Amino acid sequence: MEISHSVKERTIAENSLVILLQGIHGYVTTVDLRDESTAVGRITNVDAFMNIRLAEVTFTDRQGRVSQLDDLFVTGRNVRYVHIPDEVDIRATVEKQLQLIHKVRYFGGRDKGRKEFPTARHK
Amino acid sequence: MSFLKRFPPPGEGVRRQEPDTQAVLGDRGLGTGTLYIAESRLSWLDKSGLGFSLDYPTISLHAVSRDLNAYPWEHLYVMVNAKFEEEEPKEAPMGEGEEEEDSDDDIEPIAEFRFVPSDKSALEAMFSAMCECQALHPDPEDEDSDNDYEGEEYDVEAHERGQGDIPSFYTYEEGLSHLTSEGQATLERLEGMLAQSVSSQYHMAGVRTEDSAREFEDGMEVDTAPVVAGQFEDAEVDH
Repeated sequence: MEISHSVKERTIAENSLVILLQGIHGYVTTVDLRDESTAVGRITNVDAFMNIRLAEVTFTDRQGRVSQLDDLFVTGRNVRYVHIPDEVDIRATVEKQLQLIHKVRYFGGRDKGRKEFPTARHK
Repeated sequence: MSFLKRFPPPGEGVRRQEPDTQAVLGDRGLGTGTLYIAESRLSWLDKSGLGFSLDYPTISLHAVSRDLNAYPWEHLYVMVNAKFEEEEPKEAPMGEGEEEEDSDDDIEPIAEFRFVPSDKSALEAMFSAMCECQALHPDPEDEDSDNDYEGEEYDVEAHERGQGDIPSFYTYEEGLSHLTSEGQATLERLEGMLAQSVSSQYHMAGVRTEDSAREFEDGMEVDTAPVVAGQFEDAEVDH
């Protein structure tokens, strides 16, 4: 739910479906990994590179062995699927995240405050 | 143990240094030493100065494990997408499982490291330090390499003022004159969707005025429901 402090990450997020994953912080979710293992846990953070941090995780490795992990960080590259919980309204979540990003970007009004992106003409 | 080498500990960018930490590869203990969680790589060195380093792009995941049923000591678990030497191969499982596991090993080499600190309370800090360092190494082979959104290439304010330098992007006024009737219909449809989704926040009484329409022509796909595959295929703007 928190918006990244990085301009680049905000821009990446609003132009990809990572924005959806950022909207489901706090939900218990199943993440399938590239190597066929699975992690079920509460999403605590997703960044623009789809690195996912989960808490209170039940981890099933590719051989089927189950263990509990307090905290898990999976690199985006190794994520195959994220099962969006059924109770999540996908469209509303994406819209809400976009609005949060716009609030951050246009803080102080459209023409006031610091510009988020430097312009050639301002140099 | 021949992958262990002698090298000086990292000097710069060390986010966390944890002494008295055992390292385990698979089911083989490597001894006790110091774990260095540095921005450039993850390193472990035993007391004699021998150790190894792991590059963050090779690390698939890391975790804090306190499940004593799974492993008898609380530790930092690190899964690496690479092969390291282990001793004798584990006993091959019997039956149908065997073939699947062999082919898995061919495709995806996996090495499991565990770092067991004497100070269990350090695990969260070690985990967080690794998260931070991992985030510094985004995947360069990302197929979705539409991530070139930096600085001047993507000049949001300039586009709003109609001063964008990117020739493929039209300002609101220019763009209207270039629309075919099909394009016009698409524009009306999208504006309708937009009005529905944001009207409550941005408008008085749900009425979209010229000004408010211009507010949203800022170079971004404001179509806020990118759920359908192929939805962006007809997008005019090339980011």
